[in-house]
Amino acid sequence: MRISPKRDRKETLTAFLFLAPGFALFLLFLLGPMAYSFRISFYDWKIVNPAKSQWVGLANYAETLANPIFRRAVINTLAYAVVTVPAQIALGLAVAILLNQRIRGRAAFRVIYYLPVITSWVIVSLLFEYMFIGQAGLVNYVLRDVLGLISENIFWLADPILTFVPIHLLGIWKGVGWTAIICLAGLQAIPEHLQEAAEVDGAGVAARFFYITLPLLRPTLVFLVVVLTIGALNAYISNLLITNGGDPLDLTHFVLTLMYEATFGRLDFGAGAAISYMLTLFVFIISVVQIRLLRREMDI
Amino acid sequence: MKAFNKWIVIALVVALALLLGACRQAATPEPTSPPTAPPPTKAPEPTKAVEPPAEPVTITYWHTMSDPETAQLEKVVAAFEAANPGIKVETTRFAYDDFKSALLTGLAGGEAPDTARMDIVWAPEFAEQEALLQLDGVMPEFETLAEKVFPGPLATNYWKGHYYGLPQNTNTQVLLWNKSNFEAAGLAGPPETMEEFAQVACELSDPANEQYGYALGGTYFWAPAPVFYAMGGRIVDEAITTADGYINGPESVAAFSLLKDLYDKGCLSPNLLGGGIGTADGHATGKYAMITDGPWMVDIYKGAYPDFEVNFALVPKGPDGTTSSVVGGEDVVIFATSEQQEAAMKWASYLLSEEAQKMMAEVGVIPTRADLIGDPSLPEYFDIFLQQLQTAQARVPHPRWSDMDGAINNAFQRMLRGDQTVQEALDQAASEINQMLAQ
Amino acid sequence: MGMKRSRFLSKTITYILLLAGAIIVFIPFWYMIVTSLKPQSYIFEIPPRLWPREVTLQNYVVALSKDRFGLYFLNSLVVAITTTAVTVFISSLLAYAFARLRFPFKEALFYLLLLGMMIPPVMLIIPQFIVAKQLGLLDSLQGLVLVYITMNLAMQTFLLRGFFEDIPQELEDAALIDGAGRWTIFWRVIIPLSRPGLAVVTIFTFLYSWDEFPWAHVAIKETTRRTLPIAIALFQSQHLTEWGQVFAASIVALIPVVLVFVIFQRYFIQGISTSGLKG
Repeated sequence: MRISPKRDRKETLTAFLFLAPGFALFLLFLLGPMAYSFRISFYDWKIVNPAKSQWVGLANYAETLANPIFRRAVINTLAYAVVTVPAQIALGLAVAILLNQRIRGRAAFRVIYYLPVITSWVIVSLLFEYMFIGQAGLVNYVLRDVLGLISENIFWLADPILTFVPIHLLGIWKGVGWTAIICLAGLQAIPEHLQEAAEVDGAGVAARFFYITLPLLRPTLVFLVVVLTIGALNAYISNLLITNGGDPLDLTHFVLTLMYEATFGRLDFGAGAAISYMLTLFVFIISVVQIRLLRREMDI
Repeated sequence: MKAFNKWIVIALVVALALLLGACRQAATPEPTSPPTAPPPTKAPEPTKAVEPPAEPVTITYWHTMSDPETAQLEKVVAAFEAANPGIKVETTRFAYDDFKSALLTGLAGGEAPDTARMDIVWAPEFAEQEALLQLDGVMPEFETLAEKVFPGPLATNYWKGHYYGLPQNTNTQVLLWNKSNFEAAGLAGPPETMEEFAQVACELSDPANEQYGYALGGTYFWAPAPVFYAMGGRIVDEAITTADGYINGPESVAAFSLLKDLYDKGCLSPNLLGGGIGTADGHATGKYAMITDGPWMVDIYKGAYPDFEVNFALVPKGPDGTTSSVVGGEDVVIFATSEQQEAAMKWASYLLSEEAQKMMAEVGVIPTRADLIGDPSLPEYFDIFLQQLQTAQARVPHPRWSDMDGAINNAFQRMLRGDQTVQEALDQAASEINQMLAQ
Repeated sequence: MGMKRSRFLSKTITYILLLAGAIIVFIPFWYMIVTSLKPQSYIFEIPPRLWPREVTLQNYVVALSKDRFGLYFLNSLVVAITTTAVTVFISSLLAYAFARLRFPFKEALFYLLLLGMMIPPVMLIIPQFIVAKQLGLLDSLQGLVLVYITMNLAMQTFLLRGFFEDIPQELEDAALIDGAGRWTIFWRVIIPLSRPGLAVVTIFTFLYSWDEFPWAHVAIKETTRRTLPIAIALFQSQHLTEWGQVFAASIVALIPVVLVFVIFQRYFIQGISTSGLKG
């Protein structure tokens, strides 16, 4: 349908009216503050007397990049995203499909799967730490005394790699319910008669899933991949609480636990801001690539 | 379909009503609260500076006290206000973990409090940021008060030739020994020297049954600090210029070697590397025969293990025959941005008065005034802590202390894991700390 | 093979899987409940116990009578309801524009908006504090609401845009030809057809504003304006935290969030969109 220039102008005006309230708030409370902290990242910032701050150019960025602890943190953060994002989507989608059926107790199941989403990070981090205690924790008890898989207790939290077992599991455990709800809402868009027709035609469960459910769920999945990746790369609370910020030997940091340490631990606001903006830039690029890739596939 | 629209409309109407309601509420000035109400009115904002001079001055005081301490603080405030008509103190409580970010945000936005009670290791950090008011030579009673308090806690306020606060309350770690463990092993009482301590720790251990003679809460400096200082360990020189020959000096090496040796022999619980049974639980349940911890353990055990008998002892003496430990606690500071500095100073010095210190002692807060040692009104268990405090040492009063702590923590981890010898690990820590001092 | 038998089989498998998953998901939560019912509330027991030796409601009694729990609960409710209602409305407007309208810099503006969910919120707190101070919004619930709405806009708009795009364009074109304006289409066509999406936005925005801590903690100093997360954080003290009370208070704090979920999950009913489109 071709649209006249006059209608075009009118549509632009309408669009801006629709955008106005949101962008007003966005400018005031988000973009403005963002610009402010972006500026900080080029200074040796003095929190009490900003006027005394010294311009240091890209020094905060260069120092961060040269820091081996930062590089290790980047690897840890990427690993967290690579493990937890697909796991949350796979499990969340599975739960959503199961919960989308007409079964007894559906609402109760939905609530149970939603519970991890709503419990506070502080409390569940503590609970996971407790379950993974080396000397007499629940996990060691199950592995050693019930299943007999290990002969000696594992000190999960003392090991720079094994520490991530509880951290990753916590991320997945807490995220599945969230993912499932979005998938559940997305599944509403798939007409039931399509599934029924395919079933009558003899399509198996797998065929229906791959040829009907998955393609029609694509907008939802694009959203999930992007949002969960952003969330994973920005994760820090569970790590901060479980590793005390980097224990052992500063090998277990996430990018944001380092940022937190720089800002509120060392009062080095410039470094904190520099870490944040490098992360934001990286996340932004990843998200744009993800959106473009996944969307294009869908359009074709 | 209609149902959902209805929800939205209802929600929007409610939302608008609430917003408007909240606006109106905020617009109407609140009536001054009656004297009995705990939260007094907000501090006068700078825009309303044209107040009559008779109006009482309000100062703000932020802190991280516990419930019983906060309740007691209200009484202290009431006593202060009664003695100083014309000054009102408005207190705000924060959780310890969130306190620093609240202070920093307040400072950045020009909304810092007039006074605060902050962790002793933060004072130099905030002083370096020029956030705190220098007290020596400025506060009239500073010199008198400084002479009355314990030297260790006072030292935590010192930065670049000046004092930026006064120690409001203090604590230290002593040895806790589980009597039934000792009796079962046929031992009469707690060890008095470090030599004895090391020997006893092994006699009380049975690693196969998760039984250890000694346990530390972690590898952060606070945990090994009592043993470290008792063994004569030092982190930096007096003038805070170098760590070389101090953190890697023979005494410090001996201190860490003692712990490393206990760990290797299975006499020190492996929980300190992370993810083990906590020291408080382990001690009360007889898994850890000895731990080092502070005065708060009395209340912790009262709540969690009411039947457990807590036994305190001085930290065992080091090779030079003296006991020592580490100083903890909080300092009262005045912010440089305060517009009510005179009133703030009165409040700070009142907090260090005998009267206020005794009031807070009623809820287990250890006073910083040395002249209160032996005062009959103090709880009995304070004795051992006050005694320990006479030789307890402050950690390095330096803005980069948390980084130094990290360097020592990592060195401790490396030696326990066998990545480096004790000397190598501490040499590395020394050079890392020297870099921090050079900046 | 008979379809009935395979149906029965698939139902059984569904139940087994759901139950197994539910148990795994529920274990940590169960610990939370058990701890809240234990009389000794310092910390967890070793070895772990799945049932307390002694059950008491003492932690709940103490937690609920501490400070002004009721007032904080009410403050949280005001903030969460207001934030949710306004966010649903404003982000729907944004999402509609991005999903259906043509205007210059559309893609650039969309990515700019997305930037809002990529920047770590901790980094924004200090400048937001300065803005709020200048606008006189510190120590007020409106200050919380406005920031919460802003922090939610990006994600909720992104989410809703996906749902709006799913609605067949023909429906809108038909309405346009009938002479309906954009507002009418938005309000009478798009919104009613996007109930599952709006329900998700409602559920998540409510949860966010109910739970938010970092901003509330710096923006609110006045004790009468505190929200629940601040009050619960104050249960923790440096040396001695009564975890039983923290858990009890947290469990009570979950109730409104669960209620909102129960009410709005009803809109995820299979087959809505088909009947909706036909109707």
